[in-house]
Amino acid sequence: MIDVQGLTKSFGPRQALAGVDLRVAPGECVVLCGPNGAGKTTLLRILATLARPTSGTVRIAGLDPAQAGADVRQHIGFLSHRTLLYDDLTAEQNLAFYARMYAIPDASARIDGLLERVGLTARRHDLVRTYSRGMQQRLAVARAVLHRPPLVLLDEPYTGLDPLAADALTALLTDLTGEGCTLLLTSHNLQTDVTLNRRVVVLNRGRIVYDAPHPDAATFPALYRELVQEAGSKTQDARRETQDARRETQEARGKRQESANERVGESADHELRSTQHAAPLQNPKSEIRNPKFLCQVWAIVAKDIAAELHTREIFSAMFVFAVLALLIFSFALDLRGALAQAAAPGVLWATIAFAGTLGLSRSMVREQQTGGIEGLLLAPVDRAAIFFGKALGNLTLMLAVEVVLIPLAMVMFNVGLLRGGVLLTAMLGTLAYAAVGTLLAAIAVNTRAREVLLPVLLLPLLTPLLIAAVKATAALLEGATWAEIGGWGQILVVYNLIIIAVALLTFGYVIEE
Amino acid sequence: MGQKRLVDRALVGVSGVAFLVALGMVFFYAPREATMGEVQRIFYFHVASAWVGFFGFFVTFVGGIGYLATNHRRWDILAFSSAEVGLVYISMTLVTGMLWAKPVWGTYWTWEPRLTISAVQWLLYVAYVMLRGSVLSPEREARFAAVYGIAAFVTVPLSWFAIRWWRTIHPVIVSGEGMALTPKMIHTLLVSVAAFTLVYATLLRQRIALEHERDRLAALRLQDEATAS
Repeated sequence: MIDVQGLTKSFGPRQALAGVDLRVAPGECVVLCGPNGAGKTTLLRILATLARPTSGTVRIAGLDPAQAGADVRQHIGFLSHRTLLYDDLTAEQNLAFYARMYAIPDASARIDGLLERVGLTARRHDLVRTYSRGMQQRLAVARAVLHRPPLVLLDEPYTGLDPLAADALTALLTDLTGEGCTLLLTSHNLQTDVTLNRRVVVLNRGRIVYDAPHPDAATFPALYRELVQEAGSKTQDARRETQDARRETQEARGKRQESANERVGESADHELRSTQHAAPLQNPKSEIRNPKFLCQVWAIVAKDIAAELHTREIFSAMFVFAVLALLIFSFALDLRGALAQAAAPGVLWATIAFAGTLGLSRSMVREQQTGGIEGLLLAPVDRAAIFFGKALGNLTLMLAVEVVLIPLAMVMFNVGLLRGGVLLTAMLGTLAYAAVGTLLAAIAVNTRAREVLLPVLLLPLLTPLLIAAVKATAALLEGATWAEIGGWGQILVVYNLIIIAVALLTFGYVIEE
Repeated sequence: MGQKRLVDRALVGVSGVAFLVALGMVFFYAPREATMGEVQRIFYFHVASAWVGFFGFFVTFVGGIGYLATNHRRWDILAFSSAEVGLVYISMTLVTGMLWAKPVWGTYWTWEPRLTISAVQWLLYVAYVMLRGSVLSPEREARFAAVYGIAAFVTVPLSWFAIRWWRTIHPVIVSGEGMALTPKMIHTLLVSVAAFTLVYATLLRQRIALEHERDRLAALRLQDEATAS
């Protein structure tokens, strides 16, 4: 199921993985141990297609993630440090959203079944943010296995769970292995995992220093400490023990392979075939369909709107901020009579620009907080669909604010803003704003100074757009037709085309690790 | 390594000489402009620094595309080294423009479109530098900066269109009807542009070398840490 050869990963000068070789047979359950910074999460993220290796080869069910990313993602379920759930959606809405992303045919029945299995049926309509840590983790497991992946990767799934919740999770994982699912999980909890009778791999400083099928529960913790402390110097004893353990693993893997093959009714060497013939593992339960681009775009937009309808926090903040900006401009510039009418286009667009920055920032922070973008990247979703979905969601929010703001500005400044040309200008200006804003918000949200940095990045880039929008609006208010504003309209259209093209070409680089 | 140093020293020498020649031509060769007088001589620094500044941002744009296409660190180093040097030149453009504007227009600053757009370009690359300082992962920093450098540069043509369509009081030196300059002024301008470009190349090479040294130092530190633990 997993075949990794000579895998390395560097972050600048720091090497997180320094030549990892790992093979995991179908149906096998492997516990990956190691101290903090050993490279466990990096390895899992590469296997989950969330990060690219610096060198080496990775095959999942015989497929190369670099060549067949979407197909590989259909085969993987990933439980991250974060739940990858949206706090502002209910459990059912979260699972329904991911079901759309994976184009699961029997979504409703599957969601019902999973919620029942993780014991959350009674709380299915509650917002995830009201759940305890244990409940969130159970729902996260449901999300990870929603599309019936044959391989599930779990990054420290027991972290933060009380003993009861940990037992429930263990039962879930045991069920998954019973169904023939391959599991690779990282853990610090040596005693529990070892007593569960699993194959244990120890990673230290980016290298595998130990690999044994069923280490002795009584002696393993001491051995682990020794391995971790001495692996840097690579003592002869540890090396010999690792080699012995690896030999043992090869034999055990052969035996396990046979039993796995028996389970799926195959007589040949399944592991060998899965890595050599690049054929996806056949999961009897999975019915993989290619998700449709527009369905995914719409699912992302609908998810953003649903989250906003639950909280109404972004709309309220943008609207109140916009009204405040209108008031402050009118006080500061003493806008009255003809002066107010002359300044109205500039004040209106400055207000839209400031309020928009606020909304864009919050919208992307909401996505980032629980790892929503990671959840999207794990699904077989086109990066362009993610961009369009987020940009259209932001556009919807901004237009909703403008629907209230424009009539308000009309009354406050005594100008006739409700004209076809002005509304078309507003639409074009807002579309370009949402496009470039979505791209830059995705950048800013990953920086230390996220909220502060977004306007610094965004506003200088918007200058040609704002100039054109203000000049076009002013000309239209003076009685010009759309055809008569000429160049300003063209700048709006060309800006849209250029920025959307740049965003489409570069958005993938921004959201991927 | 030895050859590299030789090239660096030669470049420093050539750009130094070129700069001195340009200074000499600006003050002793170029004629005194009839209307504006001596203050017009600032034009040779202003135009040359503006050209090099925009060229520096173009190199940042190319470096960004190169990095996204190849994922090679050398493209990233080229991109941000050029952005930093370009930013210095655009700052010089703004300062020389303001010094020229005071005696000619009677004010250091006016919201004339070309001045405004120069200020916007300056802000764009200040934001670029700020962005680089705000990302923790070096790989992400390079990718984000590449994307921003590309997005920032593609808005430049639109800014130029905006200038054309907006009424301007900026003197038009280059137009379809040819330059409003005497031949000696043109010679001086060309030498100034060449000298500023050579200085840009020298600074760029030094900045790139500095970054390579930083990388080497970081690698040595890591090696040291690994040995110590």
